[in-house]
Amino acid sequence: MTNPDVTGTALDQVDAEHPQEQNAGVSRAPRTGSGQLSLVGLTKHFGPVVAVDKVDLEIPAGGFFSLLGPSGCGKTTTLRMIAGFETPTSGQVLLDGQDIARTPPSKRPVNTVFQSYALFPHLRVFDNVAFGLRRAGVAKHEVRRRVGEALELVQLAGYATRKPGQLSGGQQQRVALARALVLKPAVLLLDEPLGALDAKLRRQLQVELKQLQTQVGITFVYVTHDQEEALTMSDRIAVINEGRIEQAASPQDLYEEPANAFVADFLGVSNLMDAAVTGPSGAGAQVRLSDSFSLEVHRGDVGFRGPAKVVIRPERIGIEPAGTAGHNRIPGLVSNVVYLGSSLQLAIQLASGHVVTALVPNSGEDTAAAWSPGTSVSCYLPPSALRILAGKAAPDGSPDGGG
Amino acid sequence: MRLTSRFGAAGLAIYFWAFVVFLFAPLAVLLIFSVNKSPVPTLPLSGFSTKWFHEAFSNGVLTGALVRSIAIALVAAVLATALGIMASLGLLALRGRAAALALTVLLLPLVVPYICLAVGLLILVQQIGAQPTLVAVVLGHCVIVLPFAILVIMPRLRSLDPAMNEAAEDLGASPLAALRLITLPLLAPALVSSGIICFVTSFDEFAIASFLAPSGQPTYPVFLYASARTPALLPEVIAVGALIIAGSLLLVVLAEGGRRWAERRLVGETATQAPDLGGEQPRASMAMADSRLT
Repeated sequence: MTNPDVTGTALDQVDAEHPQEQNAGVSRAPRTGSGQLSLVGLTKHFGPVVAVDKVDLEIPAGGFFSLLGPSGCGKTTTLRMIAGFETPTSGQVLLDGQDIARTPPSKRPVNTVFQSYALFPHLRVFDNVAFGLRRAGVAKHEVRRRVGEALELVQLAGYATRKPGQLSGGQQQRVALARALVLKPAVLLLDEPLGALDAKLRRQLQVELKQLQTQVGITFVYVTHDQEEALTMSDRIAVINEGRIEQAASPQDLYEEPANAFVADFLGVSNLMDAAVTGPSGAGAQVRLSDSFSLEVHRGDVGFRGPAKVVIRPERIGIEPAGTAGHNRIPGLVSNVVYLGSSLQLAIQLASGHVVTALVPNSGEDTAAAWSPGTSVSCYLPPSALRILAGKAAPDGSPDGGG
Repeated sequence: MRLTSRFGAAGLAIYFWAFVVFLFAPLAVLLIFSVNKSPVPTLPLSGFSTKWFHEAFSNGVLTGALVRSIAIALVAAVLATALGIMASLGLLALRGRAAALALTVLLLPLVVPYICLAVGLLILVQQIGAQPTLVAVVLGHCVIVLPFAILVIMPRLRSLDPAMNEAAEDLGASPLAALRLITLPLLAPALVSSGIICFVTSFDEFAIASFLAPSGQPTYPVFLYASARTPALLPEVIAVGALIIAGSLLLVVLAEGGRRWAERRLVGETATQAPDLGGEQPRASMAMADSRLT
């Protein structure tokens, strides 16, 4: 039952039959304050290990905020300090201006959706969702009404008498959501809540979660290591590495204007090339890739001089027939081709010695044949698509490495 | 080793049945002679009679010892199970060397001969100026059955998702309420097992009871040992033995039934499904619910 077999078309039909407006009646305002979070110098040590290192972060009220980073980077520890399951070694967690860092979790207007859902297996769905209301001493008929509303909100109205073990993974995830949202928290924390689901259900629930957040207007703080998930859903993202914030910005800014090589590399595929910034050129800087190849670069740290990284996204590299002359063009040899369906991913050995990845849209039957391995090409690296990143080195190994 | 050859299979069957006979023959003998008319348990059987049961239950010393043992075993089982819950919670909160040390100390009574514990307890009781009492027997039994309680409860506790407790607190429950509403109900099957094992062990225990029970207030095993030298009592003892076997069987059946009931309650296989959902329909409707966009 964990893998509901739903086709894309069936999905669209269901979607059309259950328009957004149906649930307008159960939208609600947050219970307390506006749900604005500030982390001030937040630090957590586990023995000699520094899990979170002086994190300062503003999480605006009513938005969808993601903490994104490789496993072991401190994002979950940060979330657990906001929830109250870990006490910070130092620093503050300000909720609407009030420090809650030492308030027990049961007393915080903050609720959590756990990675494992942590549903109570001996209680029916209804009693799971009613748990918090009953703890708060809400009257019986009010409990019934609000649990009904919450289950409707997550489209599980008919499932109140089931036990969690009788539900599919996606349904359990919704119960966990309903159980947390029914208390109208100021902030909802989500710890990789889609991690256990298969790819298709995941993508679908990403859209749902985002819609739900917009509908209820509660601040969502979402922990994930999946950059695509973060880009899809978030209003703002903080990229975390080794307990520190690398960059906090909107998805578009993170992708287009990465502050450093780590962010550029972690968010999507990037081509990072070692180079030297030698002087001004046109509207930007002159960058030497090798003895015989130089590029004009318009973005990033154009005032910097010296060894640096130059970064360009695969989809911004123009592939032209060999011999095409012009500015910012470097000849290359296609060394590998990966068929991705909607596009082709080419690995190209540049004459400057660098290897870059480029994406070519799949325009028809002959695309694959045109760019077979061994083909000589000319790569156009537009000055406006190139960025200079000074300082900060690229991360070692894969983004999922570490503990 | 292959056991599928004809000779191997036959050998295995013989071994199995020999084992079964060895295991159950004493019990069968007890059951048969409990309804034998003759006051001497020898073959041939002399006819069916239930008089030994009547006589056993009109023997005040025998029933007194039986009730005493049941009461002691009940208190010891409840106490040890409660202590076992606390010890397991504590042990799982500890890390590294401290956890290993604490567990070793708590499980030590498993390898200490009961007779040594009994002597030590007797000296201790006398040193603090007290007389041997049934309370001392209960405490002594608690010491020896606590390891069983921990060994049954701790693995179950470890298998629970720690996030479940955090979820309860996150939803406004105090740590104590989380324990009462979430942890204890989920531990229920282990608590039942622990209770039964502790009860049976305490009921059966001889050494500690013989040292610490006051004279004139023997537990049932102590009474049995004393009356083994009185042939006139033997048929009554056999009758009670048969009853205890029947009671044990009932207990095992009830415990297994209880365990299944508790597990059904956790998984929720019964009675909770809407009556109109049959065959293919439940799967389809679940898929629908998964696909609906909020």
